[in-house]
Order: sequence, then structure tokens, then C-alpha cells
Amino acid sequence: MGAFIGRRILQGIIVLLLVSFIAFIIFQYLGDPVMTLAGRYATQAQRAEVREALGLNKAFYVQYFNFLKNAFQGNFGMSYVTKVPVLNLILERLPASLELAIVAEAFAVILGISLGVFVSANPKNFASKFLMTGSLLGISLPTFLVGILLIYIFSIILGIMPTSGRGETVTILNFWRSGLLTFDGWRHIILPAFTLGMFQMALLFRITRGAMLEVLGAEYIRTAWAKGLKGKSVLFKHALRNALIPVITMVGLQFGQLIGFSIVTESIFQWPGAGNLLLNSMYESDFPVVATYVIIVALIVVMLNVLVDISYAFLNPKIRY
Amino acid sequence: MLNKINQIRKTKFFIHFIKKPIAVTALIVISILFLGALFAPVIAPQNPYDMDKLDLANSLLPPIWMEGGQSPYLLGTDVQGRDIFSTILYGSRTSFLVGISVVVISGLLGGGIGLFAGYFGGIFDTVVMRTADTVLSFSKTLIAMLLLGVFRHSSIILVILAIVISDWVQYARTIRGEVLSVKEEEYVLASQAIGGTSLRTVFKHVLPNSVSPLLVVAAVDFGIAIMLEATLSFLGVGIPVTQPSLGMMISQGRNYLYAGKWWLIFFPGLTLMALVFSLNLISDWLRDEIDPKVKNI
Amino acid sequence: MSIKSSKILILFIFVSLLFVGSIGVLAQDSQVSVAVEAPPRTMNPHGSDADSNLSIMSNMFEGLLQRNTKGELMPALATNWERVDRFTWRFELRKDVKFHNGNDFTWEDVQYTFAERLENPEVSEFISFGSSIESVSPVDGNEWVIDIVTKDPIPYFDQNMHQVFIVDKESTMERSQGEMGTEPIGTGPYVFDEWVKGSYLKMSANENYWDDLPEVKQAEIRPVTEASTRLATISSGEVDILQGIPVTMYEAVENNSNLQVIARPSRRAIYLGLSNEDKMPTSDVRVRQAMYMAINEEELIEKVMFGHATPAAQIPDPPTAGYSEKIERLPYDPERAKELLEEAGYGDGFSITLTAPNDRYVQDEQIASTVASYLSKVGIDVEVDAKPKSVYFEEVMNNELDFYLIGWFDGTFDFGRSYSKLLHTIDEETGYGTFNGARYSDPVADQIYEVSKKVIDPAIRASLLEDLNRLAMGKENVAVIPLHYQEDTYAIYKGSGVHFVPRPDTWIVFKEMSFK
Repeated sequence: MGAFIGRRILQGIIVLLLVSFIAFIIFQYLGDPVMTLAGRYATQAQRAEVREALGLNKAFYVQYFNFLKNAFQGNFGMSYVTKVPVLNLILERLPASLELAIVAEAFAVILGISLGVFVSANPKNFASKFLMTGSLLGISLPTFLVGILLIYIFSIILGIMPTSGRGETVTILNFWRSGLLTFDGWRHIILPAFTLGMFQMALLFRITRGAMLEVLGAEYIRTAWAKGLKGKSVLFKHALRNALIPVITMVGLQFGQLIGFSIVTESIFQWPGAGNLLLNSMYESDFPVVATYVIIVALIVVMLNVLVDISYAFLNPKIRY
Repeated sequence: MLNKINQIRKTKFFIHFIKKPIAVTALIVISILFLGALFAPVIAPQNPYDMDKLDLANSLLPPIWMEGGQSPYLLGTDVQGRDIFSTILYGSRTSFLVGISVVVISGLLGGGIGLFAGYFGGIFDTVVMRTADTVLSFSKTLIAMLLLGVFRHSSIILVILAIVISDWVQYARTIRGEVLSVKEEEYVLASQAIGGTSLRTVFKHVLPNSVSPLLVVAAVDFGIAIMLEATLSFLGVGIPVTQPSLGMMISQGRNYLYAGKWWLIFFPGLTLMALVFSLNLISDWLRDEIDPKVKNI
Repeated sequence: MSIKSSKILILFIFVSLLFVGSIGVLAQDSQVSVAVEAPPRTMNPHGSDADSNLSIMSNMFEGLLQRNTKGELMPALATNWERVDRFTWRFELRKDVKFHNGNDFTWEDVQYTFAERLENPEVSEFISFGSSIESVSPVDGNEWVIDIVTKDPIPYFDQNMHQVFIVDKESTMERSQGEMGTEPIGTGPYVFDEWVKGSYLKMSANENYWDDLPEVKQAEIRPVTEASTRLATISSGEVDILQGIPVTMYEAVENNSNLQVIARPSRRAIYLGLSNEDKMPTSDVRVRQAMYMAINEEELIEKVMFGHATPAAQIPDPPTAGYSEKIERLPYDPERAKELLEEAGYGDGFSITLTAPNDRYVQDEQIASTVASYLSKVGIDVEVDAKPKSVYFEEVMNNELDFYLIGWFDGTFDFGRSYSKLLHTIDEETGYGTFNGARYSDPVADQIYEVSKKVIDPAIRASLLEDLNRLAMGKENVAVIPLHYQEDTYAIYKGSGVHFVPRPDTWIVFKEMSFK
């Protein structure tokens, strides 16, 4: 087991190194750090000066090594536009993104799993068939269209939901701004969370159904039925518990993706999260922000994946990679 | 010929298929849309990509059955005077082109890489799988935007390339999994014992086993590629504005929704949804068909 | 009722409460929230010369002068000013003004701003203006009267003073660039509270302001880039004022009884730049005339701008020094256009790429498409390349484009300044032609511009600039193809009770707002 964990962590580190390399390329070559640092109107001589100061005349690998060294010390450089350390800029925005992702995930998990259980318990039911097909509809519309339609229906026509922003927030522990402690905050998070979580919900619903059907077909469940145990007890005590393993794995793996995918949702609802910042920075050619965002999100995704794999190995000793 | 048809009719696959009205309907929908796109120049009353044919005098006409609707603009026109119906036909070409290209290129590339990775294992396998993990830690939208940031000029080829970069991974993983399991099969082990497995042997056994899971991946991927193309148009980094795709039409049409000009977004949106929904239905059916236990998603 | 259904009922009640609760949310008294199109880039007052940034900065910072709602120059940090000679401008400074951090405003702050900040390319986009300053010094030892001497004559110097914001010398020198870029300290009527980039900016009234205290006590700017969301924020009363009603939705807003609509002619002209490189067909004036005449601007305004624009025949707008009533649009005449192309040797047409931003001007992408459609009817094959503005403007400034759609309005009301940036022969040393992506060059016109700089009498200067304008925009040169002046549009949520008068420069100035 120890060897497995070690190997899995090592793999994670390799992935992060690769990501950092890509981030370095973005940082160095996508934007022109000189042009943006020296200002658009700088003269040739001023540009050369900045080039020298930034060490852009040094060999490629030296520059990459410096980039890595700085990154390890939490120094990801300055935003071209606001001239503040990029890391702070992103960390400030991360709570909003994480809250959105958590609420979206919670919504997807609760609804997805309960529907999945319902459908697997009543496979022949008309409602089940309808739900199965309907869930596909949820993954047949692009996110931006879903968001726009929701705003149109709930904010414009019905006028009952706020359209943008996070609403009232409360700062906890001096750094985490939370919208989840106020009523206003909850009202603001509903539409974006639903938009973001819909795809996930459809996915979890289908996985749960699949896992449940498989478990329900297994020997011990049939024995349980045969022993005359009540339907509900079999369904929840025995079947669901076993079926949940792949579902939970999926939740862990997909959570990181939710943060990544929230770019579009955040832009439609003007959600003050990291995704919105990324899009803004992209449009402003503020590449240090883009590069750092890439690294931070990758860090979250990779850590989650490693944790999921390790816990999965604990739960299911048959699995070895 | 008849013989052949009879042969097909007897296959299990076909019988199962014909028994599923939903899957049949889905296939019919896809076929109609595909034929419409293919024969767009013949069917469409207007070539919406020919700037010469557009006339602002026909701008924003409602569908033909509404007051003010005009022939031949069946589903109305957009602000440039493009016939919506024609643009949907032409725009579906872009969607199909993107979808098919992405599936074929990612399939071949990812399939090939997955096959070698699974077969050779070792360093090559590690490199491939870690690269795959790396790709997966970026969202598809992000990859596409970064790539378009590099080239600073949008085109269909770039959109396709952007999607392929993130999509080959699923194919590679699927094939690799198949190779790994086949490698453990008795007959392969046996052939190994009597003289070593060649890549050809594995390939011969892997391919038939992988077709169905690959089809499932492909059908889902097709839909995702089409939606991603739409999203890129929405973000302003998609294909050229003078050659609207379904995604571009939706993205432009959203600005007219509030003005009551619903047809600009409704018809392309419905087409896109019908297409992706049908693709998902097909993949769903395929999955059930391949794995009676309904093992995974 | 079973337990299960009662649970559902509770859930239902909870959800409906969420919905109902939202209806009653009203803005607090004396608080005004404005939704704008473009997010501010930075809180450093010199970090961006975009009007969307200057607009917001003007609430926290002040220049030596300011403009009222009519666009006229008014005293601000200076109480009086005059042009002493060709190079010298004299300002009397206002006493007893304090920066938000409590520091006194003195001549040294002015000197520091002009001499140290503006010229530094790392923190300023006003470089060429900054580098033209020779000295800032008190007159005869009186610290409240200063002379600003320029290296070159800058006739419109005072016209620029409303957008060159003065910073506090002491705190600016102590603080890092990052702090300068995120925590603004000025002398303005509003004190900075909080900024979440891309989401909102909050300010509150400066209780120590030198002038009348503003009525609006809490001010909020909310950039909402997505047009439909922006409209939704005002329809639901989440914001009090909306800047920039999307023209496609204009009618819907007008018909909304909760909203009041204000429209005024915009100062911004939209025009097409054409490459002047010899190898390009567009360097031939006949081709330029032909392209001009092929565009049916009236129809474009009616259909694509939904009537919310007026045709333009030149770049400056009527109140600008140098605007000429005598310039007329070339008539729409596709037949004549074809003949002209024939004469120029392009009877079979040619291919060209029209580059446009897709997130900058009203209907920018659509205008480009329409232009392409008009030009294709006279045989010119146009490919449209629309892209985000950040990429686009860089390409314009690097002179990479052959044919592009761009807009311009000059905050200084001076065509001389516009000319030096848009049409003057490119000269990297002096900063001439920064936005002359079409590489237009006319030595005669450049000469007229040089002469105009030395003239002090505003009336004579204006007539010289008018000549310059006519020379460039006349039939013989067609330096650019002008399209139209946009319209500035605003929606006000009636329930908010805010009284708001839009400004010619589109700035959102909270101190000018009041409650009915």
C-alpha cells in the first residue's frame, strides 16, 4: 500500500511539473512580458532595459528553472495590468469559485443519487424511462445557453431571481468571503449553481443507476431479497452502500473539472470568481494571471485525483495500478 | 445483395436496434440533419455564406407564418438578411465537420497512442498516461482559448485542433484498457508461450473488442465537440462571423431574444439540441447493448 | 398528510420564500449602483487611457480642471488658468484640499504627477503627453501659482487637464505599484472602498471634499459584459442606472414601464482604416472612393444600428475644434463605385480582410459583416476577422492590418490631438501616429499640423484644424471611410428616484447625481 501511495503521489508531481512547463510557455511566449511591463508606449531602449531586468536574454532552461523556483516560493510574478502579485489576486477570488462548485456539486449529488436510486428501484416505471431520457437532455445543451435561458425565464419574465454577482457576503477567518451565510447570498447562488451542476447531475444520475442495477443483480442482494428482507432496507442498507463507491469516485474526479468548467458560468452570471478573472485576464492579455490560474487549478485537480485514488484503494483492495 | 441484407437482418445488433424505437428515431433525426447539411447547396433557398446574396432590406423578417413573414424565408432572417433555414443547413455543415473531424482525428490519434501505450507499457506508457492526466487538468474551454490566444486568428481548423488536444485522451484510455485486459487473456498468453505475441496479434484481438466502447465514446464526444464549438463562438473566439455555425447563430441570437425576435435563437438552438440529444441517445443505446449489466455511465 | 409529503411541502415553502424574498429588495436611500459595459482595468489613475477607466477614476481623483455635464472646462484643483506663451501654462492652485489619506494637496503633488508618473511607461499610458513636459515650478516663489512649461507647443494642453489626475506624492512614493493599482488615494468626491476586478467597485462619499458634498453617499460600479445579463440587471432593479443599452434590445427597454430611457448623440465616430502601403489596392484613392460609395450608410444605420446612430463624414464631432460643416459624405452609388474600380484597374475586384473587434463598439462585428456584404456587391471579396479587443488593438498599433473598423472620440475636443494620433506620419520618437494602423502619411497635412501647434488664438487655430480635416477627409484623399457617430444610451430604473444627466464624454460622475 505504501508503495502504491508513493507512486501515485510521484505521478501527481510529474503531472504538476508538466503543467508548470505549459504555464511557463504561456507566461513567457503567449504574451510579451516586455511589451506589457514596459507599457504599450515604451521606446525600444526602454524595452531593452526591461528585457535585461527580466532575464529574458538568458537560456531557456535557466528561465524555466527560475520560474519554477519562484513558483515554489509562491512568487508567480505580477499582473501586467494591476501590478499586484498574481497569487493574491487569484486566491482572493478562489473562495467564490469553490463555493459555487461546492453548491453545484451538492445539488448534483443529492438530486443525481436520489433519482438514480429511484430509477433503479423502479426500472419498468414510465417515470423512470422518462427521467432516463430526460437526463440526456440535460447534457445536450451548451452551458451558456442554459444560463441565458435561466436568466431570461427567472429574472426577466418572472422577475424573481437576481441576475448577477454574489449578493451579500460575510468574511470568515479574515480571508474567506462567504456568500453561504446570508439569505441574499443563497438567492444569488441558485441559478449559477444549477447551470454549472446540471451536466454533473445528469452524469451522477446515470452512474448511480448503473451501479445500483449492477449491485442489485449481485448474489448477496438476491439472497437478501430471498430471505424476505423488506424492499427499502435492501435498497438502502445493502445496495446503495455498495453502489456508492464508483459514484463517490466520480464526484471526487469531477469536482476539479467543475472549477475548470465554471469559466463560462461565471462569465454569464458575472460571478466574482477565479474563472471570471481568468476570462478577463485572457481578454486583457494579462498572461501571468492565466499561467498562475492554470497551475492552481491543476494543483487542486491533481490533489483531488490522488486523494480519490488512494481512498479508493483503501476501500477496494482488489484495485492496484 | 438481397442475401447480404438478409444477413444483416439476422444479426443480433440489428434486431435489438429495430426494437428500440427511441434509438431508431434518434438515428433518423441524425440522418435527416446530416443529409440536410450535405445537400445544403441544393436544398437551401439562399447561400448565406455568399455576402453578395445578402440584402439588409430583408433583415430580421419573422418566420413565414407570422405577420410580416416573407417567402422564401421559411424560418425568418437574421440582422444581415440571412435566411435562418438556409443558415441552419449550412451551419450544420460546420457542426458536422467539427464533430466528425474531432472524432476521427482524436479516435485515430488517441486510439493509436493508447494501443502502443498498452502494448509496450513501461516508459512510453508512463509518458502517455501522465500527459493524459496533464491534459485532463485543463478544462476544454481553457485549452481552446489558450490555443486561439497563440494563433490570434480564429478558424475552423483551430477550433478542431483545440478540441482534439483535449479529446484524444478518452480514446487513448479506452483502447489502453482493452489492450491491458486482452494481454491477460489466455489465448494471447498461449500464443506468447509458443513464440511471443506480435503487435499484430494483440491488435487483431483488441480491435474487435474495442469497437463498441469506442463507438460509445465517439457518439458522446461528437456531441461535446459540437457544443464546445458553440461555446467558443459565445466567447468570441470561434469561427468567422460571416460563416455562422449553429453555435454562432445561437450566440448572436441571444441578443435578439429580449426584443422578441425569438426565431434567431430558437431554431438553431433546437437543431443543435436535437442533434446532440440524438447522439446521446444513440450512445446510450450502444452502451446498454454492449454491456447488458449497464456497467458504467 | 404523510411525513414524506409534508417534507416536500416544507421544501416547497422554503423555495418559494427564496423567490418571494427577492422581490422586496430595494436599493437603500442615497445609494446608486451603475451597470457599465467594460470593467475598469486598474485603479492606477494613469494606468489606462481608455475612457471606461478614466470615467471611473474621475470619482476618486481630480485633475487641475474638470468638465461639467455640458463638456465645458471648469476649475477643479486649479481655480484659474491661462496660456502665458506658446510653451507656458499658468495655474492657480486651490488651497485647503486634502487627499483621502489626510495629506495636503500642494504644488509638489502636481510636479510629481507630471514629472515622475506620467512619463514612466511602467505605470502610465500618458507617456507621450508626459514626455512633452519640460518643467513644473512655482511662479516667483508663490507655491499656489505654478507654471507648466512644455517642450513643444501643446495648444490643447488645458483641454487635457480634466483627465490627467493628480496623485499624492508622499504616499505614492512609499507604496508599491501594486498598491497604487488597487488602492487609489485621490482628492475626489469619493473614497475608495473595495474593488473586485471584473465584478464591482464600491466607493463612499468623501466627507472632507472641498466642494459641495455629493448627495449619493454609496456608489457602486458593476461591469456586466454580457449584454443580456446587463439588461436583466436593470429590468429587475438590481442596479439603478444602466450604461449602454444594447441596440438590439432598445425597443424592449423603451417598452418597459419601469425604465426611463435617455439617449444622446455620442461623440464617438466609427470609421474604416485603409492600408496605404503601395502594394495594396487601397492605396489608390479611386479604390478608396469606390469603397466609400459602395456602402449604404443610411440603410446600415436603420437595419444594423436600429436607427441609433447618425451618419458621419469625418472623425471629429461638431463640438470639436477642427470639425468642418463643409465636409459631406460621398454619395451611396454602387454603379459609380464599379466604374472607379474599373478605372483603377480592379474591374475584377480584389480580396481583402476586414478586421474588427467583437467586444468594443456597438454592433461592431455586425457592422463589419454588413460592410463586407456591400463591398462584395461591387466585386470586392471581403473576409471578416472579428476578435476580442485586446488582440485587435495590439494589431492596429503594430500596423499589422490592411483594413480595419475602429472608433474614436477625443476627450480634449481637439482635432489636432486626434490628427497627431490617428493620421500623422508614424514617428516612434515623438509618439505621432500611435493609432495610425493604416500608415497614412501626407507631408503637407503634417506641415499644417505643425503650424497649428504654434498658434495661440483658439479661433485661428480651429480654422487651421478645419483645413487640415478637410484636406484629409476630402474626396482627393479619403484618409479613412467614416461611417457613423454612435448614440450613448442609458436606462434608469424609475423606482430608484435617481436624477442623472448623461455627459458628452460618457463618464459616470456620481457627484452630479441627485435624488428627486
